[in-house]
Amino acid sequence: MPTASRLLLLLPTTTYRTEAFVDAAAKLGVELVCASERPSTLEELSPDSLVTLDFADPLASAETIARFARRLPIDAVVPVDDQTTVVGAAISQRLGLKANSLPAVSAARDKHAMRRCLAEAGVPVPRFRLVRLSDDPAARAEEVEYPCVLKPLSLSASRGVIRANDRREFVTAFHRIARILESMDASPSDEARRALLVEEFIPGREVALEGLLVGGTLHTLALFDKPDPLDGPFFEETIYVTPSRVPETTQARVAAVTRDACAALGLTEGPIHAELRVNERGPFVLEVAARSIGGLCSRTLTFGTGLSLEELILCHALGRPLQSLERERRAAGVMMIPIPRAGRLAAVHGADDAAAIDGVDEVAITMHPGQDVIPLPEGWQYLGFIFARAETPAAVEQALRRAHARLRFDIE
Amino acid sequence: MSAELKTRVQELIDSMINPAVAGHGGFVELIDVQDNRVYLQMGGGCQGCGAADITLKSGIERLIKEEIPEVTEVLDTTDHAAGHNPYYTPGKA
Repeated sequence: MPTASRLLLLLPTTTYRTEAFVDAAAKLGVELVCASERPSTLEELSPDSLVTLDFADPLASAETIARFARRLPIDAVVPVDDQTTVVGAAISQRLGLKANSLPAVSAARDKHAMRRCLAEAGVPVPRFRLVRLSDDPAARAEEVEYPCVLKPLSLSASRGVIRANDRREFVTAFHRIARILESMDASPSDEARRALLVEEFIPGREVALEGLLVGGTLHTLALFDKPDPLDGPFFEETIYVTPSRVPETTQARVAAVTRDACAALGLTEGPIHAELRVNERGPFVLEVAARSIGGLCSRTLTFGTGLSLEELILCHALGRPLQSLERERRAAGVMMIPIPRAGRLAAVHGADDAAAIDGVDEVAITMHPGQDVIPLPEGWQYLGFIFARAETPAAVEQALRRAHARLRFDIE
Repeated sequence: MSAELKTRVQELIDSMINPAVAGHGGFVELIDVQDNRVYLQMGGGCQGCGAADITLKSGIERLIKEEIPEVTEVLDTTDHAAGHNPYYTPGKA
């Protein structure tokens, strides 16, 4: 009788992605080993399924898992978000598993290395430059064109991303990002703490491509529109709706540019999440991450006979057949509920009313009463998520906006 | 059968699981055992915790199945959205 596949999931303790991946593993009958950067209270009682790894030290983590795998072989490694992509590649490489190479994933994790790699390959990206935090910001502010965008090298969810329209705003943004990086107690890497990226602000609409790389071929799983303008000064993501309403020729161009970006980076296997700006000059790649969509947003996606995105990812990682990569027929979308101001969340009102809106599948409030809430650019969380499905993308967007309008958050 | 199974699960929770999750201010309460399925609720630091699913599936369920092989599944009935003091809170990183 064949033994069940054993899968290592790399799950930061702060990720939103745990439930979706753990559920997917259970549905697929996979034996699960969960690794986090901080120990589980049950690790001593369950050492075959709970492991602690230093995600900031990929090579040491790879050695730890290599020792573990001598006793209990691992069939696949799946990092669930940005914090674990590099360590995931290091472990896969150490175990000899099919996965993205460590240099490819490392380049995708560092915004400057990614921009440089893509620009050298002729993939359209904003003009960019690296600025050291040891530099004099006033001097650097003299050297750039405006408007520009300043961003940390390795943070996610638009954290620390700030538009500057002139030299004064540049200096203010520079100091604000420096404070964010100083306040972080763990990753990013030392290098990512010492510099930031300054790039051209690209006007236009933004889209996100969710894809799966199989043997170097990119399959587009979904293309999301972001209908709310993202013009700064901060870049808070709110609504994602798929299928996209941009012209099909533009969608094809977005897919082609994303494919070129993956090839340039050397990404060949597993999920990717790409974000692009599109205007009359064509698509510009802002980011290609070697992971799936963040937050709870994957709940918008089902494939074939009802497979979740995470089931697809795990099947691919385990080398199992992929029955269908075709998304469901209906339009779907999510609203990441933004934090309007800093404070302490006292109460949430209207969640049942919001969930009753036609087309709304679910209203998930993920922050708890009493929790400190921090808006962008310092924050990295959302109050929650609203999910909707309907016949058209416009109807999905309308349902999300109507539901959001029924929610009220008491922030003290 | 269920009553006897319930007693054994309760003993396991009392002797092994709750002393461990208490390290993060959490606790686990046995709600019921039906058709060899165990229904639990998590409280304290476990309620709403970003790692609750890891604790449940790779910790609690595994331990219960190892000690009591006739258990087929462990199901979480917790209202995690109502958690007031989760040990880990998720963020989009």
